[in-house]
Parts: sequence; C-alpha cells; structure tokens
Amino acid sequence: MSTVDWKNYTPVLLPDIKDLHKIDVYIKNGGYKALKSVLTDKKSWDGPKAVIEEVKSANIRGRGGAGFNAGLKWSFMPPADGGPRYLACNGDESEPGTFKDRKIFEYNPHVFIEGALIAAYAMEITTIYVYIRGEYKTYIDMVENAIADAYNKGYIGKNIFGSDFSVDFYVHSGAGAYICGEETSMLESLEGKRGYPRVKPPFPAQKGLWGRPTTINNVETLSHVTGVINNGAEWFSGIGAKTHPGPVLYGISGHVNNPGVYELPSGIPVLDLIEIAGGMRNGKKLKAVIPGGSSTPILRADQLDGITMDSDSLRTVGSMLGTAGMVVMDEDTDIVDVLWRISHFYHHESCGQCTPCREGTGWLEKILLKIKNGDGEVRDLDLLLDVTTQMEGRTICALADAAAWPVRFTINRFRDEFEARCKKKSHAVA
Amino acid sequence: MPEIFIDGHRYEFEGDHKVLQFIQDLGKEVPFFCYHPSMTAPANCRQCMVKAGQYMKDRETGEYEVDENGERVIRWFPKLQTSCNLMAADGMVILTQETDELVQRAQKDNLELILINHPLDCPICDQAGECPLQIQTYKYGPEGSRFEVKKVHKPKRIQLGPRVVLDAERCINCTRCTRFTQEISKTDQLTITSRGDKNYPTTAPGREFDDPYSLNTVDICPVGALTSADFRFKARVWEMNQTPSIDITNGKGTNIDLWTRDNLILRVTPRFNAEVNDHWMPDAGREAYKIFNENRISRPQQKLDGEQILSSWNNAIATLSEEIAATDNSKIVVIASPHASVEENYALSKYTNLLGLNQPVFTPHIEEGTGDDFLLSDDVAPNANGCRLLGFTELDKASIKKEIKKAELVVILHDNLIDREVIAADDLKEKFVVVFATNNSDTSKAADLVIPITTAAEHAASYVNVDGRIQRTYRAKETKYTERRLDLEMSEGRLDRYGTNFDNWVTEDNKIDCLPVWKFINRISEHSGLECNFNDGREIMDEIASTLDSFTGVSYAAMDEQAGIQLSIKKETSTSK
Amino acid sequence: MAYEFTKEDLREIEKIKAKYPEVMPATLPTLWVAQRRFGHVEPEVQRLVAETLGLPEAHVHGVANFYTQYYKEKKGKHVLDVCTCLSCQLCGGYEILHHLEETLGIKAGDTTEDGTFTLNQVECLGACGYAPMLQVTNDKYVNHLTKEKADELVDKLKNGEEPDYEQMKMPQHKNI
Repeated sequence: MSTVDWKNYTPVLLPDIKDLHKIDVYIKNGGYKALKSVLTDKKSWDGPKAVIEEVKSANIRGRGGAGFNAGLKWSFMPPADGGPRYLACNGDESEPGTFKDRKIFEYNPHVFIEGALIAAYAMEITTIYVYIRGEYKTYIDMVENAIADAYNKGYIGKNIFGSDFSVDFYVHSGAGAYICGEETSMLESLEGKRGYPRVKPPFPAQKGLWGRPTTINNVETLSHVTGVINNGAEWFSGIGAKTHPGPVLYGISGHVNNPGVYELPSGIPVLDLIEIAGGMRNGKKLKAVIPGGSSTPILRADQLDGITMDSDSLRTVGSMLGTAGMVVMDEDTDIVDVLWRISHFYHHESCGQCTPCREGTGWLEKILLKIKNGDGEVRDLDLLLDVTTQMEGRTICALADAAAWPVRFTINRFRDEFEARCKKKSHAVA
Repeated sequence: MPEIFIDGHRYEFEGDHKVLQFIQDLGKEVPFFCYHPSMTAPANCRQCMVKAGQYMKDRETGEYEVDENGERVIRWFPKLQTSCNLMAADGMVILTQETDELVQRAQKDNLELILINHPLDCPICDQAGECPLQIQTYKYGPEGSRFEVKKVHKPKRIQLGPRVVLDAERCINCTRCTRFTQEISKTDQLTITSRGDKNYPTTAPGREFDDPYSLNTVDICPVGALTSADFRFKARVWEMNQTPSIDITNGKGTNIDLWTRDNLILRVTPRFNAEVNDHWMPDAGREAYKIFNENRISRPQQKLDGEQILSSWNNAIATLSEEIAATDNSKIVVIASPHASVEENYALSKYTNLLGLNQPVFTPHIEEGTGDDFLLSDDVAPNANGCRLLGFTELDKASIKKEIKKAELVVILHDNLIDREVIAADDLKEKFVVVFATNNSDTSKAADLVIPITTAAEHAASYVNVDGRIQRTYRAKETKYTERRLDLEMSEGRLDRYGTNFDNWVTEDNKIDCLPVWKFINRISEHSGLECNFNDGREIMDEIASTLDSFTGVSYAAMDEQAGIQLSIKKETSTSK
Repeated sequence: MAYEFTKEDLREIEKIKAKYPEVMPATLPTLWVAQRRFGHVEPEVQRLVAETLGLPEAHVHGVANFYTQYYKEKKGKHVLDVCTCLSCQLCGGYEILHHLEETLGIKAGDTTEDGTFTLNQVECLGACGYAPMLQVTNDKYVNHLTKEKADELVDKLKNGEEPDYEQMKMPQHKNI
C-alpha cells in the first residue's frame, strides 16, 4: 500500500485563495517570484542550463499523458543559433475524462504563465504559444486577459525584470479536433493547417514550428515548473509516488458523488480517490475505472486493490496514468455501450491521414454498434481484437493505439458481458 | 563506404537514400501507394512497412559487436518502419516482405484496411490493369475481406475540372494529388476535405481544377479516384500498346508515351526523364493524340482547276520533278521546318543540295506567353534547334515573306505557315506551291501539290529541344506501307503476346496513306536520276553524325541509352524561358 | 450575398497576423473572426478569408472542413451542442439529448423550422466532472444538466437571454 500522505496535502497549483486569477492577488501570494529569481538572482541560477537541470532533477513527468520527464525534454533543444525558437503549450485537453487544465486557466492562469516563461528562459525561447481547444472559449478569454495583465506588468515582453531575456506569449485557439492534442498535429494546427500529425523524425526539438526548434509541454506540466523553482526540485520529487512525483490534478467523473478536479499528490490509491470524490453515487457498487482518460485500459473493480495513481502501480494491472482523468463506473453500467461510445469518439476524431487509423477506427465502431444492437456474433469479438492488432503501432501518431487499447482491454476484461450480448449461434434464425 | 543489409544481402551506398527508393533502385520491391520520388514523403498509406534494425558497433573500435555465437548483435526498432521516409544508415538491417513474416502480415493487414471502404469496382474502373492498389492486393493482400458492415459513401462522378473526374469512394487518401498541386504545379487548387474516413480530395467550392498540369494527378493517382475526362471508358489498359515518344507540341521536348489500340493513338502520358520533364507533362500536350488520328492527309493531292483532288504517288513525283526542272534554281525556295524532325529536314536538304539549290531556310514558331517556367516554352515547335544545328538559314517572318515573293516554286516542309500567320494565302498566289504535311490546314489547302507525310507517331526520328537535347520518337502507328509485325521496334501489347489474331489491330481503316519524307525523297531522286537512298531514321542519323560536327556522337543507340543526348547549342538562339 | 469584413474585423485580422511569422497560421483565427461576424463559414465566407489573407481557397476550405466548430452551413440562432461522450453518457447525456429532441421537435443535427435552435450531439467538451452538459453556440457551458435545467435554458434563450457563466467550484475548496 501507498504511504502517500494526501490528507495533509495543501494544493499549490489550485490553492484555496479567492480571486487568485487576478494578477495582483497572484503577486501578493508570491507570484512571479520564481521568474524574477531565475532572471535576476545570478547566485542561485547560473543561467538557463541551471534551470533545466533543476527541472530535470525534479522529474516532472509530463501531465499530458505520455509522462516524459519535462526537464529532459527541454535538454533536447539544440543550442541557440540566434533564430526563433518556440515553446508550444498544449492546452488542447480533449481526451474524454480529462478536464483539469481548464481549472488552471480559470483559477490560477498566472502559475501556468509564469512556468511557461521560466521554461522559455531555460530553453532560450523567443515566442510562446498556448494552444487551447476552441470549445474553451470562456477560458481562452481568461488566459488572454491574464497574459495581457502580465504584459502590462512587464513579465512578458522585452527585457523582463531588466534582464536581457525577452519573449512574446500568444494564445492560439483550436476549433474542434481532438487530434490537435497530439503534439505535432498541434504544431500543424498552429501553422494554420489541417491537424495532421507529423512523421517523426524530425522531432519538434529539431524541426518544430516553421521548421524551428520547438518544445511542447502540457499546461499542467508547465504550471508545476513555478513550484519547482520556488521550492526546489527536492520538494517536488518528495511529493507522492517516487517514480512519478509531484502534485497531480485528478479529474474525477462518472458515478461518484462529488466529481471534479482534485489537486493531490501522485500515487493516491485508486479506491481512496473514489472516496475523496464522495464515494459511489446512490450507494452503488463499483464496477470499473478508466484511470487516466478514455484511451487508458479499463480496470475491473477487483483489479484495484492496492493500486495507486502512478504509472508504475497502474502498469502492474495493465493500465496507465494518462492524464489522470479518472472515469468511475458503477454496477449498472453497460460496458458494451461504454466501449461503443469510446470507439465512436475515436472514429469521429481520427484525422484520416494514415490508413490503419482512418479505416480501423470506423471498422471498430461499426462492429461494436452491431454487437450493441444485439446483432453481433462471438466471432465478431475476435475480429475486433484482430483489427486492434492491425492498427496498433502501425500509424503516424498514437491515436490508433488510443482507439485500439480500450477495445482490446475492455473485451479482454469484460468478455462475458460482450458474449452475453452476442447472438447465441453464428447462424441464428429468428 | 557505408553498408546496408537488405534481406540478408549487403549493399554499399553513398549519400542520402530513402530505404524504399534504395530498394527500388536495386530492382527489388516493397509495395507502396503514397510515396512519389519527386514529392515529399508523408508516409500516410503505411503500406511500405519493413522491419528495420541496426547492427551494433563498438564505439571505440568501430567494429560490429558480436554475441556469444559470433552473430552480429542487431538492435531492432521497436515498431515496423515505413521505408519511404526511413533514411539508410551505415550498418542498417532491413527485412522486407521477402524474408519476414511480420512484415508480410503488416502489409496484408494494411491492404485489408485500405480495401474495407474501397468500392472494389475494378470491372468498371479505368485504372484496372495499371492500378497499384489492384496489383499490390493480388501480390500482398488478403484473399478475402472480413468487412461485413456498411462502407462509407462519398461523392462519385464529380467533374473536378475540365479534364479530371473524381470518384471519392475509390480514393485511398494518399494525398499525391494535393501534394502535386502544392509542390509541383504550385497552383494549390486541391485540398483534402472533411476528416477521418470521410476524407477526400477536392477543390475549393465552386472552383474548377483547371491547373494546366491537372492530368498528372490522374497519372499518379494510385487508384481510380482521379480519371481523365477525355480518356474515361475509352479503352482497357491491356488492350493498348505503349510506345515511347516526344511531345511535338512544344519545344520543351517532354518525354511521353503514346497509347495505341487499333492503330489509333488513344492517350498520351508523360514518360520519366530527369533531364527534361521529370515525371510530368502539361495537359496541353495530351491533346496532341488527336493530330495523329484526325484530319489526316491520306494520298497525295493535286490542284486541278483550283480544286484539290486526290492524286497518286507517281503523279505527285512526276509533277514535282517537272516543276523543279522547269524552274530556275534561283526561283526555287525550300522552307525547312522546326516542326519536322532532324532526319526529315536533313533528307530534304540533301535532295535540294544534289539539285544545286540554296540551303533551305526556316523560321521558328514562337508564341509569346505560352512559356511557364516549367514544362512549356514560348517556342512551340519541337525542333528549331535541330534546324539551326543542320545549318539552315534562320529567317524572321518578314524575310521568309521576301524569299517567297522572289520565288516561283515554293516547297514547304511540314509547317503551317499560313495558319500560324507567317504568311497569308495571297503571298502564295501565282506560284507553284508544294506542301509536305501530315494534317489538313489552311497551308495545305493553299498548295498545288500536297505530299502526305508521317507524323511523329509513325516514324522514328529525332528532335532537338529548346535546351539542345536531342531525343527521338518510335513508331507507334502503322501507315498503309508498314507492317508492325515485321517491325521489331514497334511495341507489343498484351493482346499481341497473348491474344489471337482477332483480338487486336483488326481494322485497316485507321492506316494513313503517307510516307516518311525520306522515302519520298528516295523515290523522287530516283525519278530525277539522283542518288538518295535513305532506309530509315536510324541510318540517316548515322549519316548526319558522321558528316556534321554538331551531331558528333549522336546515334539512336546512344539516345536510347542516355535518354537523349545534350548537344551544344548557342544559348542566345535558345528560346527556352 | 457578398460578404465583407468590417474595418474593425480587418484591424483584428492584422493583429492576428502579427502574432505569427507567416500568414498561414492566421487561417484558424481568421475563420473564427469570420464566423463571429457572419454566423457561419459557408463557402463564400471561406473565399473571403482566403482573399483577405492571400491564401489558396482550397487551403482555407480544407481547414474549415477539418475542424468541427466551424459552421460550414448556416445554423440556428442558438446551437446546442450536447455532449454524449464517455462521462456524459454515463451520467445521462443521451437522456438530455433525447429530451431536447422532443422539446424542440427536431433530431440531433437538425435546426428548428423557425431557425432558433440547432441541436447537435458532440464529442467530449472537457467538462466530464460536470456531466451531463452542453455548450451554447461555441460559447458558454451549461453543466450538471437535468431535464428541468435544459427546459429552463431553452426558455431563457427563446426570451433572448444568454446563459450565465457557471463557475464550477473545486470540490475540496471553500473560498473559490
């Protein structure tokens, strides 16, 4: 069992402070101290490399789903050559079950802005874009206001805090496409194109926006940077699970009494998290959990004993932390319906660029619809599993994997329910 | 030198190579759809999957690492790789479908997915027979389909533009067509619209796909999604014979293929030549197939009481000989042609030389505004540089007119001088006019004697393009006097090889009564007691090469081997834009 | 009908262009400007955007048709995008959708005859904790829907009132 002490945890990204989204309130609560420190306190911060090292040793694992060490990612940027370099902040959160970054935009946009500015300084970035999904119109306005306030205070723009560091910061609104949360697809969308993922290599650090070095970080990931600079890497890595440390914004939805976003240390037991969210609705029994967004493999209630919300623990039962957007399902949930709806989502959102995903996502959905309608046969289940293997690992980006995993794992973990829904015989006569 | 190991064989390489292209260049195969050597590689069809790995080298010694069994240690990429965008690297190990079951499986899986929403309407599809999807499916695809649900429906029979028709259901979204308009023709007229499995290529709403190079998208479409409005449903590919040729409608000398059935040219497609036109050709040149079939002059014609009537070859020869004999040499003007081949011009000039006439003159055919910095030049004749290299006197319009004015006998070789407004019909009044022509025109109508000659599709002859490259045509079409079964150079089609006598080339109707210029010269010189004995274009070119310095080293064999030969031309005479 | 940007729009578009080193990145934001001005980005509006930015029409068309939030055809005055994805499905998103279908007398995807409402079923809007929910005309989210709340919303919109911004409280916080 985990020993994470979440009961005494005080939120840092989303603390309980009224009007924190206002820049003056944020400053009064220690805001922009971290930025000022890295820019002006030469004793503590011996240039951009020192910032990268600090962030690297904090081991902020990317909160967008992939879980890659942010500082390490930053270190992949080639040396500055005087040309433009970009930081693209990923605020596209569109994975079903995920609704955490909007809380930062709403309640504490400056912690993100400050983190992004520090990242920009560390990587010698010249322009920052934050890509926010178009549906978040309300939050886009909030972030734009916050950025304007920071410009007015001189925290963004030329010679910030009198240093020779200058950077611009813009918001780019999406317009309805899940795929734009995929980092290279996001770059294409930023460049004004259809959101088709790019073939890698070249990686964005080499050729990103407009062919220039670019780093892409999730909004929550960048928000943590502020805390790491203020409190040190050790503080951060001391919170929560050792291999996946730090505070996490857990988004809890589905059949719980108090759904919402909770900021808590990583590595909280899954079952505790359900209790934190008020427990199961209407006193029903827990049936299953999707731990980190719709693409992460579903877990049956009987798999959850002792499992904690961090990548290592979830891997032991065949799942992932993803975005930590946990979807809770009670005993009345129709798993066949749920899987069909997830497949419908990926079919709808496949960009259509490459074959296995464009064709496979539709095929999966259509077979599942047939099964859901009671017209399926048991052999269709095996066909579904076969199709997932034809998609996985064969595409340009990970959307095909994201579409295939739920199908594979949900069928494997709830096969009896699927079979019960299928016709009894292959050639049943009405 | 860096080395790469493909299916267990070792190859050396230098420079940058994409693995797929490298394998193709070796004459081996990996199936693919979206890759095109002249465009960016989006790796979107996912068909060219290979297993890739790297022999591990000891960093210090540079030697390959070996395991306890003495085998080299390979670090495989975690996933299969698309070979189209995978760069060859030293010590790379590649397994294709030839040697690896996983690769075979992946390619088969991918084809099954490509085909689930494809209409499988090969029996009514123009592309059948030359369809990469059809071919790869037969070779590498699954035997059946497990797709038992509804296919996606998309627009069909959409006239995208004047020359291109779209069937979106056949489209496999390789984006070759959209990339073509973005990267090659640069008109940006096409885009993919919609998303996911509803994707298909289209123009902006209400806009026509009238790109002057639009038909190249039909050529590169790996399925039957884009078809030619003109060629649609005209012939099955396997019924036609394919013969290499040169586009004679422009001075650029684009390399083409002529597609023949029943002695008619049915379509023109570009043929790769890295030095001239890469894989492409302008739409304008594709219309040219009609000039080989339609409005042809068959049998010599002579004017009698102001009316042209059909004549005979003997009459024509006798008439011309008599006119030449009756006219003072100084009153004869022979106008050679940038529209005729080097061999035709040479044969004519040799004859006039034997007669003791002045060297022929010619005037280039420039149409300002035709050129486009790509595959069209303002010079719309295929062989102006050929005339120059033969040493003919180049005259402007006014000077040609002046020459004609002085003359009593005017001989015009294959050049519609009236139609292209170099001269007016009135300029030829009161003169005896002989025109060598392929098609009826205002110029041929003004002639007292019309000698029907072969087109570029009916003779093997050479043309020197605006950049000085000499390239040649092949016989694609029979005349009344040729027999393709005896002609080793004429291409064979599938029906020639596998069909019965009744399957192909069954009609005599489409054979024109015409002669190559040199054959006519043979006969008229014989009639006049002169000696010209031209057998075919090949021999004429050998003669030219041995007598004229500007053609040294040129031969059909050399042109065939090197896809044309670059001759040295004076740059200022080139009208290449 | 010929569409034109106002001077104010053009100023905004210039500001947008200044954010990027090239013109093409202005495609998405300019389509937004156009949609806010004209209520849709029908082909003629797409053409206006292409001309204004000096970009190929086909490019703008391809982009407009890739992103679901751009209205490629005229919609009702109020577009109700009801989320039925995963968490909303679990919490009754489909019931809300079907209820609205009944109330408005149209099927998802259609527009009422008087042109007041378009009803859509949409994918995840990122409000999973506040399910079921819907978005009104690409703007405000209406959360924790019940049939009654959906009816209220419809009435409100009919009366020309806009829905309020609902700040969703952090469950463990007291002040905010």
